[in-house]
Amino acid sequence: MVDQLPNLGREKEMLNELGLNSIDDLFSNIPKEVRRKEPLPLPLPQTEEEIWADANRILGANICLDDRPSFLSAGLSRNYVPSMVPMLATRGEFLTSYTPYQPEVSQGMLQAMWEFQTMISELVELPVANVSMYDASTSAAEAITCAVRVHNRKSSQKDTIYISEYVPPHRLSVIKNYTQGAGIEIKFLKHDSNGMLDIQSAEIANGSCAVYVEQPNSFGVLDSGLVKLKSIIGKDTCLIVGVDVVSLGHIQPPGLWGADIVVGEGQPFGIGPTGGGPIYGIFACTEKYLRQMPGRIVGQSWDSDGKLAFTLTLSTREQHIRRHKATSNICSNETLIALMGSIHMALLGPEGLNQLSMRIAANTRILQSQISSINELKLAYPDSPHFREIAVRLSGNASELLEFLDSKGILGGFDLGRWWDNKSDMLLIGVDERTKKSDIELLTKEISEWLVTKDE
Amino acid sequence: MSDIFSFRGAEGTGWSQPKPAIPPQELLSEVPASLRREKLPKWPRASEPELVRHYTWLSKRNFGIDTGFYPLGSCTMKHNPRLNEKIVQLAGIDRIHPLQPDNQVQGLLAIYFEMQEMLEICSGMDQVTLQPVAGAQGEFTAIRCIQEFHRKNGEVNRNKVIVPDSAHGTNPASASMCGYEIIEIPSGIDGRLDLNALKAAVGEDTAAMMITNPSTLGLFETEIAEAANIVHSAGGQMYYDGANFNAILGKTNPGIMGFDAVHYNLHKTFSQPHGGGGPGSGPIGVKSHLAEFLPTPIAGRREKVDSDPELLDGDYWYFWKDVGDSSIGKVQQWNGNAGAVVRAWGFYRRYGKQLEKMSEHAVLNSNYLRHKIMNPSEDTKSKINAMPTEGANSELVMHEFTLSMTPLKERNGITGKDIAKRLLDYGYMSPTLYFPQIVPECLMLEPTETESKEVLDKFAEDFHAILAEDPELVASAPYSTPVKRVDEVWAARNLVLRHPSRPQE
Repeated sequence: MVDQLPNLGREKEMLNELGLNSIDDLFSNIPKEVRRKEPLPLPLPQTEEEIWADANRILGANICLDDRPSFLSAGLSRNYVPSMVPMLATRGEFLTSYTPYQPEVSQGMLQAMWEFQTMISELVELPVANVSMYDASTSAAEAITCAVRVHNRKSSQKDTIYISEYVPPHRLSVIKNYTQGAGIEIKFLKHDSNGMLDIQSAEIANGSCAVYVEQPNSFGVLDSGLVKLKSIIGKDTCLIVGVDVVSLGHIQPPGLWGADIVVGEGQPFGIGPTGGGPIYGIFACTEKYLRQMPGRIVGQSWDSDGKLAFTLTLSTREQHIRRHKATSNICSNETLIALMGSIHMALLGPEGLNQLSMRIAANTRILQSQISSINELKLAYPDSPHFREIAVRLSGNASELLEFLDSKGILGGFDLGRWWDNKSDMLLIGVDERTKKSDIELLTKEISEWLVTKDE
Repeated sequence: MSDIFSFRGAEGTGWSQPKPAIPPQELLSEVPASLRREKLPKWPRASEPELVRHYTWLSKRNFGIDTGFYPLGSCTMKHNPRLNEKIVQLAGIDRIHPLQPDNQVQGLLAIYFEMQEMLEICSGMDQVTLQPVAGAQGEFTAIRCIQEFHRKNGEVNRNKVIVPDSAHGTNPASASMCGYEIIEIPSGIDGRLDLNALKAAVGEDTAAMMITNPSTLGLFETEIAEAANIVHSAGGQMYYDGANFNAILGKTNPGIMGFDAVHYNLHKTFSQPHGGGGPGSGPIGVKSHLAEFLPTPIAGRREKVDSDPELLDGDYWYFWKDVGDSSIGKVQQWNGNAGAVVRAWGFYRRYGKQLEKMSEHAVLNSNYLRHKIMNPSEDTKSKINAMPTEGANSELVMHEFTLSMTPLKERNGITGKDIAKRLLDYGYMSPTLYFPQIVPECLMLEPTETESKEVLDKFAEDFHAILAEDPELVASAPYSTPVKRVDEVWAARNLVLRHPSRPQE
């Protein structure tokens, strides 16, 4: 503590100038009846050395994804982040700055975010992107409230939106929290036996404010039918698509097949899974939604000498100006993580992105063929193309299989029974760019072993 | 100036990485034609050395606490200890998935539990959740909990939330997102809460009052206990905006003041770096009657039994605890910004039971700086064009204070914005400008506890120098910054929101 407070030991000198006698005098405006009486019942201060030792001991008790063959993905990626990314992003000038309200001394972050907006815009093929949301779920939720504000007046199904029934429940829960205040009713779109959206029945969404689907969906299924969805729901219904950002290295971006807003988890670019945060959500849209979109936006401008400069713009949408009429309450966002994402994307380049997505596609393919060789197990959607994730149906409980695999030193995936009560016999297995073929072989062997021995 | 899109390396270069385990042609043949991407995004093609130089150059065009004094009021721009950056690079936090089973994340759960408990102690609340990832999201989460509380009690007509006119903009925005109507009440002449206005505003339709204490004027709301009584008597709930928590830690707490719910900004009070606008972390704490509505899960613990594996030393086994059927569910997809929580833990451990020293020095520095600015030497005073007036009519302030530049504006047309821009030339970040809106030509300053007396003295001296400068010079500032005054109107009219050219074409 003593190394953090420059004026420690000099209190008297400063108080004297103020004409005060004690530190307590500074707090004399706090009435006695609301003063805290006892000191805080907390442990003694520690030195940096002690904290570092404790951090290593405590966090060292965690099992890391890189310690063992890991097949847990479910919306986050066990990625490889180039060394340069955290090193440059955490330069003090970036790390310790705040929202660039003063553009004259914030050109670095402003330009980096303008470049980020451009790279996201290019990635999803939509003209506008903001500087990040908290995560994929809040991006999706605020895309929906944004779309309702734009479309509600003219819609024939007022205050109504449609969501794929396969949107995972934790993301759906965030969406519900963010939409209930505006009185938005959520209805669901069905999927067929191949895991694809039942495109014919999607017609019921025509005339509503918005449709939200994911590509790939939460079982890793790439749905070719989605490219027809916009023509079915019509131009007055906003099509919002949640993406796996890395898949866009070889999968057609939704901006080219009718999406009006694209959202997704940005984490694979820039930062490790970090226990679920800080990560960042991407948010891109067509110009039609620009003035109703949430979050910060950087625009190009000029300084008084005519030099190119950048500044925050369209602030009149935001809470610090518009207060209760703002398009969103978002203030602090995930800028630093978006900066990490930006550096990572720039390092990859177009061909590097393509290669990254092909590595995951290849590992998905290997997983699919290895796993389908197990007789006692069925792929949930054997005839559909997948990316990153594959769902399998077991002749037993996924939770028991995961415990067995844990005992063999394998993080085997995700028990879909934790999301849906009727799917406790389903396991979600995820790969990433770093998955080794030998790991997949080991997983296949151990799953076979469990299936044979579990009833003994 | 150069931008990242001016890097145009040859096609086919890019980050070197292992090849796909199956040839791409073979894989692509299995992707339906309508799903195959035809043209790659027009991202830059740059090598690592080029990018290191680009981002280093950008960083030099950016101002952080590391660069200089950053008295941005209400944002608590304190030093960010570097140890905490080192800790979050550990694999035990960086390479952890939020869906890993409890036995694999005993360390993270232990830190979550310790932080929940510490924040409960510091705020006088009964249960804390670390899930909200920003202050505004914390506000939103707490108001959602209050909303469900009223619904459960059958009080569905409580549809109004009261906020003082000095409140942060996020307060009304968060309540509005929950579907509430906002009642804004004017502050009294001393800048403090006006109890008569509050009495007139409460009623059977009051869901909650949102207030920060000390207020955004840096004043402690001396009648806060009475305000809580008024709101509670009407059946409403009291919500504490923790943005200004740095002023009171260990001295009082929202629990004693009569609040039912509170959010904390770990990126302010507990020094998670602000990162150019985020990430933040906005945990909330509630009294027991609201605990059943909190987002799920929270960290729980029990005493160890013999069958527990020995993973983390100590007496407890930690687990993710489901909050139950009344929970509002999730506000972030996972368990919050774990990395921010771990950084804040590293910060808190440095202070431990002496956290109140932090608030003492924050309030000392704030009063000292205010005194230095408002009391120049006679010699200095004679050179100054006009002195600002204090934004609050009070002998003492808490961790921040406001100044009104109105006397200057009347004297020679110099605005608060002009002063703010001129300060940039002297190597300082500008104070918060034009907020709170109830102080005309407002500058709001929060020095924090991590600035030395010498920095504060020098700042006051430089501030006086600016007040004595030729008004024409001040009006066109800044001069020595990477760019001069930026045309924000042009930006809003022309909306150039991405790079216009397509370099790879």
